[in-house]
Formats: sequence, structure tokens, C-alpha cells
Amino acid sequence: MQSDLESLRKFIAGIHPLNDAEWTAFTEHWQPHIAKRKTILTAAGETERYVYFVLEGVQRAFYLGENEREATIVFTYPPSFSGVPDSLLTGLSSTFYFETLTASRFIRLHSDHLFRLMEQHENIRVFITKALAHTLHGVLKRQAEIQVFSSEEKFKALLKRSPHLLNLVPHKYIASYLGIDATNFSKLLANTSI
Amino acid sequence: MKYNSQQLLDNVASDTRAILLQVEKLKSKSETELRIKAAPDTWSAAQVLQHLNFYCTHYLNEIEKAINGNQKPSVEEFKAGWLGNYFTNLMKLKPDGVVKKKMKSPKNAMPSEIIDVNSEMNNFISHQHHFLNLLEICRSVNLNSVLIPTSLYSFIQLKLGDTLMFFNEHQKRHMKQINRVLEIKQY
Repeated sequence: MQSDLESLRKFIAGIHPLNDAEWTAFTEHWQPHIAKRKTILTAAGETERYVYFVLEGVQRAFYLGENEREATIVFTYPPSFSGVPDSLLTGLSSTFYFETLTASRFIRLHSDHLFRLMEQHENIRVFITKALAHTLHGVLKRQAEIQVFSSEEKFKALLKRSPHLLNLVPHKYIASYLGIDATNFSKLLANTSI
Repeated sequence: MKYNSQQLLDNVASDTRAILLQVEKLKSKSETELRIKAAPDTWSAAQVLQHLNFYCTHYLNEIEKAINGNQKPSVEEFKAGWLGNYFTNLMKLKPDGVVKKKMKSPKNAMPSEIIDVNSEMNNFISHQHHFLNLLEICRSVNLNSVLIPTSLYSFIQLKLGDTLMFFNEHQKRHMKQINRVLEIKQY
């Protein structure tokens, strides 16, 4: 647990460092959590109760539409925060399912503790705001990519940003994340390999 | 059989979410598909949902009543009772997903022939969300000492932990049945 918290501290320091007192308060209630592959940690319609910090494994959040159509919204892998942040922070029902794709190890903090910490420590609020700002930056950039990029450009952007995903995640999920048909994705992949 | 209480709750919760996902996918099936039976003396998917709703109504109500009055804090370890363990194992599927032993449902849990498919489906979905909320409350409850009356006879009581596992295995068993019914009808 101690080394897991150290990974968390290192990750947080890259966003907004906390002093020792804030850090002690911040780490008091994190709990270890492990999940086998394909475990649904949050279902659509539930309210997200935890913020997760990923130590091992790959996860995804996905949307289930009509006629069983799925859209992968985001992948998470170490070191990063995970879960369904909009549901966690608004208290609204999650629009997404959040599941592990491979066996995963986390530490997680219940929303009650998170909100209390944000009330009590200004610097923790600043850290959360900065973390969310980075997330929002990523989400909006991806929104633009989805609307403007060709399939090939989307594929190349992914290769540049997270090439290791290709070896970790079944390709149908990556195709779904990019909004590309699975067959087209295979073609793009084959051309790239050559 | 001993279990870590929190892990038991995690496992039941993730199974319940998988069931929710499966039922949400059923929404894309037509009413006709959900009413089809593989054979005259078997159940349609809609009838299975009605059967499950019968148990949801009983057990979720009883669990809610019992944990509301509970004053004892949670304990790390849950020890299954002999009867609870027997019931859970009776319901469990083999590792390959095949039913170990076919069973006949009690009369009062038999589904009717006339069913409002949408209402059964929506009820079932809200029961699952209710169950997930109860599981969260169970995190601070002693799974050994809280007792839940069974639907068979109220004087037969199972430990809360056993009830959660038995209820979960029963739901999983019938969700497999729904899969089978829907697969068969395609041919």
C-alpha cells in the first residue's frame, strides 16, 4: 500500500504538489481494490462512488446505445485516475459503464472522503481543479479529432499518443474508441505494420 | 466456507452490474422475441424476468428491513452457514456455465402466461439498482449476524451473506436461461 501511495504522490506532484500535512490527510482513506478482467465497476444508471487510481491493468468506460451499439469513451491505464468522473462530481447517474479489460489493481477513495477533503483543504481543491482542467483539455481535443479527422488520422493520432494499447486491448474496443468500423481498423493496422 | 466480507460484496455487485448490462441489451429485442418459448412447457425470457422479479420483491424488501434495523458493525470475515452454503451451491452454474441440476420452481414463483414485457423489464432494472444500493449499505453491516427470512418459509432464515450469494447465483442462473432461450429462437 505504501509504494502504491508513493506512485499516487508522484503522479499528483506532476499536476499540483501537496505539502506533507495535506498529503497525510489526502491519503488517509484510500483503499486497495483488485478486479479480475471484464469486471464492471460502475454500471450506467448508478452513481459513481469512487475515484480510482490505476496501478495495474487497462480499463474502459463505454456507452451502450440502441441495438446494442457500444462506444468506448475512454481507456485508462497506469498511472492515472479512473472511474466515471462526471457522475462522481455531479452525483448524477452515470451515462457510462466502467469496466476492467484486463486484471486490474487500484487504490480508490470514496466520494464522501473526497468531498470532505475538498472542503477542508484549499490546496486539494486546487489540485482537483487542475486535474479536471487537464482532463477537459483532453476531452475537448478528442471531440475535435472525432469530428474532423479521417479514420487514418485518428488511427495515427492514437498510435502517437498510446501505441502500447494495441498490444493490451482487443482491437474491437480501439476501433470503437476511434469511431472506426472494425474492418477498416484492421486494414489501417495492416497497412501500418507493413 | 469463509469469505472476506468486502470481497463478497464486490463480487456480488460486479455480477449484478453484468446482469444489468445484459438486461439493458434485451431492450433492443422485440416483444415477440422476448415472448418466444423454446418449448411449450418452458419459459420465455419475459417469464424468466417475472420469476426473478418475484424474488427481487421478497428479498430486497427483507434485506432492506433487516439492515435498516441493524446496529452491529461489519466484520472482516463472513462464514457461510450450512443451509446457506447448500442453497448457494444448488443454484451455482458449473464453471462452463451449464446448470448443475435442473429444478422446479415453487408454485408461488411460477410466472404467468400473460405478461407486460416492458413493465417486467423496467421493474427488473430498478430492482438491480436497488440491490446495488443495498450492497453498498451492506459494507457497514455484519453479514454473519443479520438474518433474512427465505421466500419459502419465513421461519427459515439465512445469514445476510448467504442470502446475498444465493440470490446472486439464482439471478445468474436465470440470466443464462434467458441467453439460451434467445439463442434457440434464432434457428
